[in-house]
Amino acid sequence: MAYQPDRSQYPSRKPDGSLDIDLSSGKYLKLWQGPQHPGITGNMSVELTVCGDEVIEGKTHVGYLHRGFEKLMERRTFIQCFPIVCRICVPEPDFNEYCYAAAVEELAGLEVPERADWIRTLILEMGRINSYLMYLGGQAGALGQGVIGQWTTYVRDLMLDRFEELSGARIYHMFIMPGGVRDGLPDGFDQRMEETLREIESTLADVKDVMFTNAVFKKRTVGLGYIDPAIVDQYGVTGPTARAAGVAKDVRRDQPYLVYPQLDFEPVVGQDSDVFARADVRRRDLLMSVDLIRQILARMPRSGAVMAPLPNVLHWKIPFGETYIRGECSRGEYGYYLVTDGSGYPRRVNVRGPSYTHAMALLERLIVNCNISDVAALMVSLHTYPPEIER
Amino acid sequence: MSLSDVLSPFSAWKNLFRDPVTIPDPLNDRPGAPRYRGFHQNDIEKCIGCGTCEAICQNAAIDMVAVAEIATKPGDSGLRPRIDYGRCCWCALCVDVCMTSSLSMSNEYKWVDHDPDAFCFIPGVDLKHWDSSELGYRRPEGHRLTGIERVAMGELEPEVRADSFVEIVAGYDLEQAKLEADRCVSCGLCVATCPTHMAVPEYIATIRDGDYEQGVRLLYQTNPFSNVCGRVCTHRCETSCAARHEGDPIAIRWLKRHIIDQVTHDRIKQIAAEGRVSKPSGHQVAIIGAGPAGLTAAFDLAKAGHGVTVFEALPAPGGMMRYGIPEYRLPYDKLDEDVDVIRSMGVEIRCNTRVGEDISIDQLREQHDTVLLSIGLHQGRSTRIPGSEHEDVVSAVELLRRITFGERFDVPTTVAVIGGGNVAMDIARSLARMQRQQHGQVGVTLVALEAEDLMLADREEIDEAREEGVVIIPSRGPRQCLIERDALTGLETVHCVSVFDDQGRFAPNYDDSDIQIHDAGLIVEAIGQAADHAFLGESLTEALEWERNRIRIDADGRTSESWLWAAGDAVQGPDVITAVAAGHRIAASMMEAFAGTSAQTH
Amino acid sequence: MRDLYDRLKTAFPLGELTEQRPDLAFVTVAKEQLRSLLLHLRDQEGFTHLVLLTAVDWLEEGNFQLTYLMNNRLACRDLGVRVMLPRDPASMDSIHDLWPTAATYQRELREMFGIDFPGSPRVDEDFILEGWIRTPPYRRDFDTLKFSDEVFAPRPGRASSDPTEFMKQQLYPDKT
Repeated sequence: MAYQPDRSQYPSRKPDGSLDIDLSSGKYLKLWQGPQHPGITGNMSVELTVCGDEVIEGKTHVGYLHRGFEKLMERRTFIQCFPIVCRICVPEPDFNEYCYAAAVEELAGLEVPERADWIRTLILEMGRINSYLMYLGGQAGALGQGVIGQWTTYVRDLMLDRFEELSGARIYHMFIMPGGVRDGLPDGFDQRMEETLREIESTLADVKDVMFTNAVFKKRTVGLGYIDPAIVDQYGVTGPTARAAGVAKDVRRDQPYLVYPQLDFEPVVGQDSDVFARADVRRRDLLMSVDLIRQILARMPRSGAVMAPLPNVLHWKIPFGETYIRGECSRGEYGYYLVTDGSGYPRRVNVRGPSYTHAMALLERLIVNCNISDVAALMVSLHTYPPEIER
Repeated sequence: MSLSDVLSPFSAWKNLFRDPVTIPDPLNDRPGAPRYRGFHQNDIEKCIGCGTCEAICQNAAIDMVAVAEIATKPGDSGLRPRIDYGRCCWCALCVDVCMTSSLSMSNEYKWVDHDPDAFCFIPGVDLKHWDSSELGYRRPEGHRLTGIERVAMGELEPEVRADSFVEIVAGYDLEQAKLEADRCVSCGLCVATCPTHMAVPEYIATIRDGDYEQGVRLLYQTNPFSNVCGRVCTHRCETSCAARHEGDPIAIRWLKRHIIDQVTHDRIKQIAAEGRVSKPSGHQVAIIGAGPAGLTAAFDLAKAGHGVTVFEALPAPGGMMRYGIPEYRLPYDKLDEDVDVIRSMGVEIRCNTRVGEDISIDQLREQHDTVLLSIGLHQGRSTRIPGSEHEDVVSAVELLRRITFGERFDVPTTVAVIGGGNVAMDIARSLARMQRQQHGQVGVTLVALEAEDLMLADREEIDEAREEGVVIIPSRGPRQCLIERDALTGLETVHCVSVFDDQGRFAPNYDDSDIQIHDAGLIVEAIGQAADHAFLGESLTEALEWERNRIRIDADGRTSESWLWAAGDAVQGPDVITAVAAGHRIAASMMEAFAGTSAQTH
Repeated sequence: MRDLYDRLKTAFPLGELTEQRPDLAFVTVAKEQLRSLLLHLRDQEGFTHLVLLTAVDWLEEGNFQLTYLMNNRLACRDLGVRVMLPRDPASMDSIHDLWPTAATYQRELREMFGIDFPGSPRVDEDFILEGWIRTPPYRRDFDTLKFSDEVFAPRPGRASSDPTEFMKQQLYPDKT
């Protein structure tokens, strides 16, 4: 399927390299997509300069949701940080909990019980499924196909039920705590999870028929938003976005954490590096998570401690040190850089969310020469969650 | 692109024939999961108002507020948590940290109200329909955010200590003390229970920080007898400790001792002297009796620049701390250190000076602005049972005093001790040691009126006495001392069915058919002590107001005579820390009396 | 990581290596050496992925620490390169030409810490904050609680009692 001819020389540039845009010429139009706009991924906006229906420049604007978590944590004790980190990412909060907990555990020298590691892995995969389900609805919705969102919302809700019975909450689970996890699995969880997984598989089969085997969807997405594998590292591209470009990066395999070394899986890789390829990688990755959950439930230990003995958390101090903990979330590399100074509070926490690189520098590059009507689909295909940009 | 790409999307139509997946009546058909972290519940009977929930709440959503129907009492602040749902994030750290498990969360998550302030409520007090909900988040088994178990204290094993007066308790080392100090949640419930209101959370914090000099500073603000109290305090603070509800109370007493053990004696003296008024005020105070009450008052008064002279009848200062408490619990050199700090404030202690013999009370009155009477209880009470006038029937306080004097006397192979309090334990364990030294074996029988679980002695004293070979028989009332040919041979006891009558008055009820004979070449009576007020003289005794053989005092320790205060066991009891508190009160009261009056010239 | 450190040490004056994990280490380098070290790491040692760039404020020492976390995807290991900068005025060479995405990090550091990166695209444009005129908020000397007390009103009726003080009032009101 052929896309546009080479438009790389357009828009034209001034001798100093800046874009040659004269707004007074009447040829150009400034257009804001967002922050309130159905075709935007959360609380952000893109300032578009268009010529006809072609975007010639796009600037990402964030800051609509800035709560300063990194700073807030500097005045909270190590245990008090635990309930707020999940709020950095609504659809997949558990990576914040895991990365923060693991960083604290490493610097404090805590040994996490093995059973807790299994439950953490289970939770992270459950969260990944939820995040992908939300993405699929968004990706289809960005192209006007509302029904996919309704289906995925239904099965996501079933998974939220599983989260609720496991962790006591649906969205912000606050379950992975420094030291381990709060509790083991409730009775009968496996069976209900299996029913949920089957429902997800059956829905995904429908999604494949209706969304992926669909002339309109293909026409709109194949060739759109191509990312050259050569720029993957220049732009800090990670996760399914990189894997759809044939770059087989997956932290779960490359720098394994938790119990991933004991699970059987191969990173899902695509090659066309366009919106369709990214959507397909995510759909297949979702099915892999379904398989991983089955593996986890089949192999995990059912007894034993789920929390390491903690010191009195009210006066918990952690010696001087710094570390970085990463995990493979649904959007790419999620990481926490934690610096401690011997006090009862973190000296500095820096959250590396994959959207930070994807939605800023990368999006601004990809959006050039894009048709206005494709901007939403392009943005969604980078799977952006703005809170992790502004933290 | 193929034909299937065109046809396949139409398969979505099959859903027309499916049942809807939505819940028809979510308000009623969708309860929260059994672990759901919904609205708070608080069992206000279990809650002790320690405020740990407030301390851990990262949102500052919790206030501790007074509740009309809940009274403040030792170990319960009377406050209860009020939660602002405008801030709460339902993380349940408050539930996880709760010291009594009174806080929990129900699985209810729907609450509609037109008044925004309704969402700021006191769970368990502002009644809600989910208060009795069985489902919802409870702290999972074994999930604890504060230390549960007390760090074990190193003690001499019974076989090592049983024939020696060497101190039993080793004291914490640095690491142990830090671990134990770490368990404290700094709620401060203990402070009110301590008679002298020591700044317990603050001084425990100095152990965590390793700032022992600050620790000593805090100790001396409220108690000049930290060496003593760090060893033998009745530690009522530990009965108010929030940690005792679901674990061991913090070893507050041992931590106090740890602080004082870490700083050199000279440095302690410097720290204690901080803020001392060096310019003499001119006021002179006489204190009769160098026990904890008298010496504490002396410390405060001397530190404020007043002249203090302490008159002590016995050869060394300390009172019951020296002559009542055995050395294996409180080594004399540790007591000497505390006394030395007090002396270094400028307090003069005249030992071997018995008021009434060596100097009269009228002389004291003439030579001083004020006088404090803190004489203690040094006369043992007798059971007055038949045979108790025999010379081998002695009082515990007298015997303990002789042991402190270092008198060597022969202990018979069999001894009976009458009494179930700590003094009885002290003498029984002391005599057991001497028996082991003299005869190689123990033959001490202790009979107590009370049943095992009601005995007045500390549990650890009872246990340790048994470990050392003392036979303790509860629920026995003494009937007579058996004498054959002028020699004491034993003690006859009967079963005591109950100690108190229905009104709670002391009225032992015996079963005369249950008689036991305990062999005894020596019988020690440890059933209580009395003060000897003879030295006061007739006219003063007449002038003073009395209350059941005790001088009547007001809340400040003043007697009915304006120049005379009284404190200590003789008026109040029952322990060192109470005496210390009284000493402070009296010093403050005397200084208040001095204010505005010029010093007499003597 | 020791092997890498020994190789780098021949070409660059480096501080001590802090080996945090077998696959993660930190090393400090002088401000002037940073660019050439990063280039060397990227082109010769396979550290092609700039994981993050952030700052730590060591207010007490008067320094900012910049941390460039570099990842070698094939060897699966990370090296954190630390640069210490004087706090005022804080300025650092831009690396947006090595990693275009670094421009975002530098723009954020400019706004949140007040560290300048001359030449970095749009570095002076507002990123997250709008019209902020106070101390850059992620500096340690910016007091968030004070800010919030000044800007926001507390909910009326909120007041709490300290258990210790409350018990003092209740149980021995007339005593100190």
